[in-house]
Amino acid sequence: MAASVEQQQQQQVGPAPPSTQQGASIPSLFMFPPMIRDALETDSSNIQDETVDEILPFLTGKEHSQLNAHGIPRLDKQRHVRFLKKQLGALPSMFVGADPSRPWIFYWCLNALSLLGEDLEPYRARLIETVRPMQNKTGGFGGGFGQSSHLATTYATILSLALVGGDEAFEAVDRRGMWKWLCQLKQQDGGFQMAVGGEEDVRGAYCAAVVISLLNLPLELSSDSPACAAGHTSLLSGLAEWVRLCQTYEGGVSATHGIEAHGAYAFCALGCLSIIDSPHRSIRRYMDVPRLISWLSSRQYAPEGGFSGRTNKLVDGCYSHWVGGCWPLIEAGLSGPEGPTAGPAGRPMEDTEADDSLFSRNGLIRYILCCCQDMSRRGGMRDKPSKYSDAYHTCYVLSGLSSAQNKWRLVASRADEALLGGDVWEVLPHTKGEQIFDEDDRIGTLHPVYAIPQHSVDAIRSYFSSKEGF
Amino acid sequence: MVCAERDFTLTKRTLMSVASLHATAIRQLTPALLSSTATTDAPPVTVGERSKQRYYQTNPVERRFEEVGFPGLTPAEKKTYTHSRLILPVANRQVSLSNKTDREYWKQVTKEGLPCRRLKNNYSWGTDKHGRDVGTYRFEELKKRSLSQAKLTALTVLHRQFLLKREAARSKGAELPQEDIDQEKKRRQEMAALKRELYGEIPGPLGNDPEWDDVIPIPQEEPQDALARIAYTDDYAEAVSYLRAVMASEEYSPRCLRLTEHVIAMNPGHYTVWLYRFKIVSALKLSITDEIQWLNDVALNHLKNYQIWHHRQLLLDHHFANTLSSDAEAAKQFAKSETDFISKILAKDTKNYHVWSYRQYLITKLNYWSPFELATTQSMIEDDLRNNSAWSHRFFIVFSDPSHSTKGSAATEYDPKVPGAILDREIAYAEEKIKLAPQNQSSWLYLRGVLAKGGRGLDTVGDFASQFFSNLGAEDEEVTSSHALDLMSEVYHKQGEIEKAKLCLVELSEKWDPVREGYWKYRLSELK
Repeated sequence: MAASVEQQQQQQVGPAPPSTQQGASIPSLFMFPPMIRDALETDSSNIQDETVDEILPFLTGKEHSQLNAHGIPRLDKQRHVRFLKKQLGALPSMFVGADPSRPWIFYWCLNALSLLGEDLEPYRARLIETVRPMQNKTGGFGGGFGQSSHLATTYATILSLALVGGDEAFEAVDRRGMWKWLCQLKQQDGGFQMAVGGEEDVRGAYCAAVVISLLNLPLELSSDSPACAAGHTSLLSGLAEWVRLCQTYEGGVSATHGIEAHGAYAFCALGCLSIIDSPHRSIRRYMDVPRLISWLSSRQYAPEGGFSGRTNKLVDGCYSHWVGGCWPLIEAGLSGPEGPTAGPAGRPMEDTEADDSLFSRNGLIRYILCCCQDMSRRGGMRDKPSKYSDAYHTCYVLSGLSSAQNKWRLVASRADEALLGGDVWEVLPHTKGEQIFDEDDRIGTLHPVYAIPQHSVDAIRSYFSSKEGF
Repeated sequence: MVCAERDFTLTKRTLMSVASLHATAIRQLTPALLSSTATTDAPPVTVGERSKQRYYQTNPVERRFEEVGFPGLTPAEKKTYTHSRLILPVANRQVSLSNKTDREYWKQVTKEGLPCRRLKNNYSWGTDKHGRDVGTYRFEELKKRSLSQAKLTALTVLHRQFLLKREAARSKGAELPQEDIDQEKKRRQEMAALKRELYGEIPGPLGNDPEWDDVIPIPQEEPQDALARIAYTDDYAEAVSYLRAVMASEEYSPRCLRLTEHVIAMNPGHYTVWLYRFKIVSALKLSITDEIQWLNDVALNHLKNYQIWHHRQLLLDHHFANTLSSDAEAAKQFAKSETDFISKILAKDTKNYHVWSYRQYLITKLNYWSPFELATTQSMIEDDLRNNSAWSHRFFIVFSDPSHSTKGSAATEYDPKVPGAILDREIAYAEEKIKLAPQNQSSWLYLRGVLAKGGRGLDTVGDFASQFFSNLGAEDEEVTSSHALDLMSEVYHKQGEIEKAKLCLVELSEKWDPVREGYWKYRLSELK
């Protein structure tokens, strides 16, 4: 295989030079199967090849009617907004599978609407009244009325309430009940169960850390917590050590100790660690950073441009957030606090500077805008072109788009480790390198740790920061 | 009708004022009636039309009154109209008459043959299940409906008798014979069908089952405009209403177990019902193997569901605490049957995260670090060298086996307890698989993982990795594995050959793996 890059591509596609629709310029990286491919076929390689075949017509513009000069279609905000609003309305009985996870639908839709610049005010009162019956007297929120409290649905509910904001939304939360319930979930090994009697995994670690820090809950453990038997005295004691053991030999993070590395759990681990302490301290202390970065970087494929969730698995739009959302935390972990940017308007535009990002922002943006948008009447975002759009993918694909379009920096570290989530972050549009999307398609931003807008984080934190005890 | 004699005077003025009050009220309230009287002479077709005709038949002069008003009536009509309107007030003593006047009045009523009972206007027949006014029914339709209503009434009587009989039996500590219960079940099905036909009411299977009579279901509590409100099917809405009720009363009984199965069949992702089911299983001390048997079918039907696997893990813990921990042979048998079933599932879904996760939990819990386990994993890797879940499992069984690893050792750190022979074996295994597919990242990651555990440097596989590229930087550069270049950049770096290390990264960045350009450049910047 002694061939130059150009020759190889000629071999793959025949002698005619590649031509795209509408004469757009698309890097060959995103137009052809990868340079190095093994001859040995297995189930995994076959399905990978099928996926590339499925995606290429979208990446090369054949499936789109309008492209910009970079071969990228517009972000059809209106279409996606309509889809999201429909998801928040009355749903037919086929959605019964979503009955235990309705708070997720609230979060996914509201967060995505906020990223698309929609006003959430009209949803405030409805959200508050909808989540009220989902809160249990014993603390926490279930997936619906009469369902057991669960950390995932509680996390989604708290974030949704923070998204709509306002004292009434914050007051809907029974903080004492929440604290007591979290104490029940805290385990002897330092981790958290998702529900009383439920599974213990790194989602629990992240969701608990988010809820504790946003609601400013006391850290002291109640005397009936199962964790007390192991000598724990705080909700967070032993948690970082527990998360540390979720890192696998691959460098990624698994759901719990000793399983396969998975993108969604990587974000949970880094998010949790970034709440427990500033990322440049906690991530460096508890993670093997070089292996982690290498593994995260391996999640990005070409020609797809998007991320996969595991080694040798397929690209999926949702990892735009789960893996894409790790990069700001990793970057902050590497650089530490950078101080405020110069001037009131932030840094000057940096068009001339080369992109020094750890991942290909343009590859991800290309995948999202070319492959993840459902351009039919349905609207919404999806895993890949052969899949249906849904609220989950719409939220996390857009979150990933946002993190690729914008650049977060850790400005100042918390003065005291005990000030959970007390770091100062700053976001600016990412302007280095070539911009391949239309400026109108730059969407809103999300706090790198809490995955809701920064002002929403500030509002709920400042509301509860005055509370001591209950 | 009983009329008491009372001593009151009925003056013409009193009568007139009562009548005119009525007239005014009717004119004000029902102006529409005045224009809709012409059609009532034809024989009635619908129930409503017949009611209207009967109304006029029992309300003399009413139609004339509607047409011309009270002043337009002839004196005789006025008299009839007024007398007929006074029948009820007089009979009920709302108007007091003297004995004489009273006698006089009733004489007149009899003479004129005035109807004592007057039908009310606009009689409401109600609506049927489609929202149609029963008044618009034709007679044969009404007859059919009335027959159904009569049947339902009869069944309701028998149903009440059943309830009384059962209560009486229970007060004596007895239960009714099965025959009675079966009859009642059949009866309720008939009643449900009739209620559905007549009123559109849909009582579900639980409401129809006498076994659930003592439970008051707790229906969904939610505002009408709740966000993402799901239109439940009737069966689901009923089942979760009963579920809320029995969970609230902390009932753990066989019927609740059946209820959980009913809900799981409709919504296997309902985590609450699974947690509740486990409580029932443990409270009733049910057979774990029976439960696992049942679970197997559910798992095969719902491959992507993960609650099933957590439930299984809870069952395992429970079974271990009660039986397996003290019975090594039973534990081994159980581990064997579990891994057999897991293999069956993994054959259908080779990378199912939750199934692999349970498998690892099982092995740790039952200390099942058998050569057999390594062999099945090996065959899965051989089926698909790129099955990273199988590689991860291999790493787990090799490096978490307590007989030759340190408990709590992080996955990426050196573990001195791992014997060299095992390291050699695993390195050879990874290398053999790399040769079959050099661009397969799973086997390279495994190789790196083994080296880290063994505290062996990457340079120990430098020669091996170097075979996957040649003539680096030259015109005829050839690379069959980007992962080899990646690894060799670290080896060269460690050996102090910075330029060679850089070259690897530059070639990766520019030619062989350019989508990761940012990462390779970062690695370049880290080289010193």
